[in-house]
Amino acid sequence: MSTGAEADVEADADLVHDELEGVIGDRALARDDHVNAPGFVVNPDDVQDVLVDLRDEAGYDHCSCVTAQQYDDRFETIYHLKKYADPTDEVSIVVPTSLSEPVSQSAEPVYRTADWHEREAYDLVGIEYEGHPDLRRILLPETWQGHPLSADYDQEKPQIVTLSEHANPLEPDHRDPESDTMFLNVGPHHPATHGVLHVKTVLDGETIADLEPDIGYLHRCEEQMCQQGTYRHQIMPYPDRWDYVSSGLLNEWAYARAIEDLADIEVPEYAQVIRTLGAELCRIASHMLALGTFALDVYGEFTATFMYTFRDREIVQDLLEDLTGQRMMFNYFRVGGVAWDLPEPREEFFEQARDFLDELPAKVAEYNDLITTNEIFQTRCIDTGVLEPDVAKDYGCTGPVARGSGVDYDLRRDDPYGYYESLEWDVVTRDGCDNYARVLCRMEEVEESAKIVEQCLDLLEDWPEDDREIQANVPRTLKPDADAETYRAVEAAKGELGIYIRSDGTDKPARFKIRSPCFSNLSALAEMSEGEYIPDLIASLGSLDIVLGEVDR
Amino acid sequence: MNAAIAPLQNGDTVLLPERIGELTGLSEFGIAGELIAAFLGAFIVANLMLAMTGVAGPWAKRKITAAFTDRIAVNHIGPGGILIIVADAVRLLSKENIIPENADRPAYDLAPIVIAGSALLGFAVIPMGSGIHLADPEVGLAFVFAVAGIASIGLVMAGYASGNKYSMLGGLRAVAQNIAYEIPLVVTGMSVVLFAGSLRMSEIVAVQNETTLFTIPGLEWAVPAWFALVNPFAFVLFLIANFAEVGRNPFDMPEAPAELIAGYQTEYSSVYFVLVYLGEFLHIFLGGAIIATIFLGGPAGPGPAELGIVWFLLKIWAVFLLTQWLRSAVPRVRIDQLIEIGWKGLLVLSFANLALTAAIVGLIA
Repeated sequence: MSTGAEADVEADADLVHDELEGVIGDRALARDDHVNAPGFVVNPDDVQDVLVDLRDEAGYDHCSCVTAQQYDDRFETIYHLKKYADPTDEVSIVVPTSLSEPVSQSAEPVYRTADWHEREAYDLVGIEYEGHPDLRRILLPETWQGHPLSADYDQEKPQIVTLSEHANPLEPDHRDPESDTMFLNVGPHHPATHGVLHVKTVLDGETIADLEPDIGYLHRCEEQMCQQGTYRHQIMPYPDRWDYVSSGLLNEWAYARAIEDLADIEVPEYAQVIRTLGAELCRIASHMLALGTFALDVYGEFTATFMYTFRDREIVQDLLEDLTGQRMMFNYFRVGGVAWDLPEPREEFFEQARDFLDELPAKVAEYNDLITTNEIFQTRCIDTGVLEPDVAKDYGCTGPVARGSGVDYDLRRDDPYGYYESLEWDVVTRDGCDNYARVLCRMEEVEESAKIVEQCLDLLEDWPEDDREIQANVPRTLKPDADAETYRAVEAAKGELGIYIRSDGTDKPARFKIRSPCFSNLSALAEMSEGEYIPDLIASLGSLDIVLGEVDR
Repeated sequence: MNAAIAPLQNGDTVLLPERIGELTGLSEFGIAGELIAAFLGAFIVANLMLAMTGVAGPWAKRKITAAFTDRIAVNHIGPGGILIIVADAVRLLSKENIIPENADRPAYDLAPIVIAGSALLGFAVIPMGSGIHLADPEVGLAFVFAVAGIASIGLVMAGYASGNKYSMLGGLRAVAQNIAYEIPLVVTGMSVVLFAGSLRMSEIVAVQNETTLFTIPGLEWAVPAWFALVNPFAFVLFLIANFAEVGRNPFDMPEAPAELIAGYQTEYSSVYFVLVYLGEFLHIFLGGAIIATIFLGGPAGPGPAELGIVWFLLKIWAVFLLTQWLRSAVPRVRIDQLIEIGWKGLLVLSFANLALTAAIVGLIA
């Protein structure tokens, strides 16, 4: 299946390349093709020019990810561009800068989403972006010394940022007798931040005048940890810890897809069906949790909705536990397949799964009765947290957040992987652009996922017993070609979860970059909430459905 | 003395302090004796209410919410987890009382007392049946609205004096909300007064139970003219305004845990927290007591008059159950929407109700 797709890509490739070369012209210093996309090296001073042309003339409206890394002789920033209309149409813009003076033009004026991505690149790698409106550290404390992913950083030197030695992030005095506004720290400890998030808000009465999310409280150096693990076994457990609320298999798939692409591994179809089944169960569990916690934000603590969603999610969790042996940290995917076959006795597993699917419609109807048709709920959610489609694209929003704004973008359909292509299901979009649309979008996606699960169960039940191959033949030590680079994304519960890997010929990645959907979605919060009331901010934050483990990585 | 136990006679009830005075012989000591008897009566009523809150807060509320939300709740200590009351009391009272550096004292210390005290004060004029009725002033209903309104001051004090922005916002919301909802509450209450022709609580109760609305044919049940049945419109209006007044879903903005942590009570801990928490429950019960008295016939119910207090408490708990139900099932509105509902909706409706009632009462009279 994947060989056919690759052949198609190569056939189209020349056409696309000619067009791209026409747009970029002689600003392209060289070619630096990646496994997933053609790459063009451009001068640090031409970044904005080239990106504007690519966006406006060639239609690359989705700056999916910005990767920064250091080579022996240079720094490099890679802009991974895509089209919302066709995410398989990708291009990488590679911007090298010198070691002594790592300054490059900022892409922020072209893509708003580059704001946070470039801050992260500055924070972790140390590249400076000229023309960036606010180039500060984003994940690490302001007082951190050095850039941890740069070559000259001393990994051994401990840096303990204590409150007494360094600035307390909540300490600055914002009192201003001249001003009519009030500064309010929402978080880092607050019931509605869904983790450790600090939102600096400026209030005019109860209206949000200004807002800035402050992230990084849960930064665990996931990228670096992945860089220190071997491809074959040691990286796979980490993705479970990004979006840790029951999306584990979806995350694992992101890594699996990237490495299988890079090392050219073909996954047996049977394993792909099991992966699809597991991933969609995860999506159901994740969306149930999103619905429940959103209800917490709008209803109040420990309401019926919250408990009902958790009750129903628990059934999915049981299924996942039967399948993987774990409730949260599944570690079930393997490079080239999955860890083991369905649990024995298989009939029992199928029966449990089918029972869940049979009961689901009644439960969804109950949620609709209890939540979405409630008039108070509607007054609270309709026309609040408005995110226009253009703004959503500009901020690189994906997943239910983008689809709630009418952006018809789902990698399962648009950039197919696994077994999705052969199954019958629909991509849900809503035109409301508000909190209500995002909630409905998730609820309908649960139903679509249930369709996929059902078809997977049918397939698995009828699968011939002597053809149940769960694992491709993968070398014990995996060493992709030196200097092979790829950026691959899957549709995780929250949106596009992408992995960039650069191989240096060893058994560990030279650079491992995670493109987290929550990170990009959260950056749109300010745009959604300014001018609205505090309760709307809380609701918008809930409807973005962020998991801080994935935002901060 | 036995004749005096049925308190449903025309306003000439024997009040609890008088009975205590006569039973204990204290009334022979003149004013001092009466004063002591009054204190004893107040002590009994206050403790009854506090005991009820004690049951409601740590145990009943949890059990009720759990039932609504498909959970089990406390079940480890004692039968049905009932001894959690003791455990919670020990836990809460033995905690360190942390007072924020920027707290504005003594307002910070007074607020919990004002919040809890104002609610307790309201029970003084409520006829609870079985002879439990502390005082029966001419202006009973006005008195109970007035003292319940004092709680707003307590909320502002708590919100302002805590030196916390969340508390401040919660306090401000509480004021905005209480002003918006106290007027419809009182205006709707007035429509009852028009019917009863008196502000005296005992008379309001008596009027409801003396008249028969209609008799169910065949069963020979005389349905009393409880105002909830006479004027269901006013009853619903009053219920809604009451939820806003006690700050429960869908009107729990002053606390709104997801938005304001815990609003005005964010900074309170230990004993102070207990007082604030008690105050909240007392207010819910006082709201229930007012509703029971002016709309549900007070302590009246089938069976002997001695059972009055049982019926009365049952009615209060029914209202409490309703608040918990709403808390589990209904989202909260936004503060601006709440103010809008209050000023543009309830206020207009409550005046319409008053005009309508006046017209009907005028016609009948």
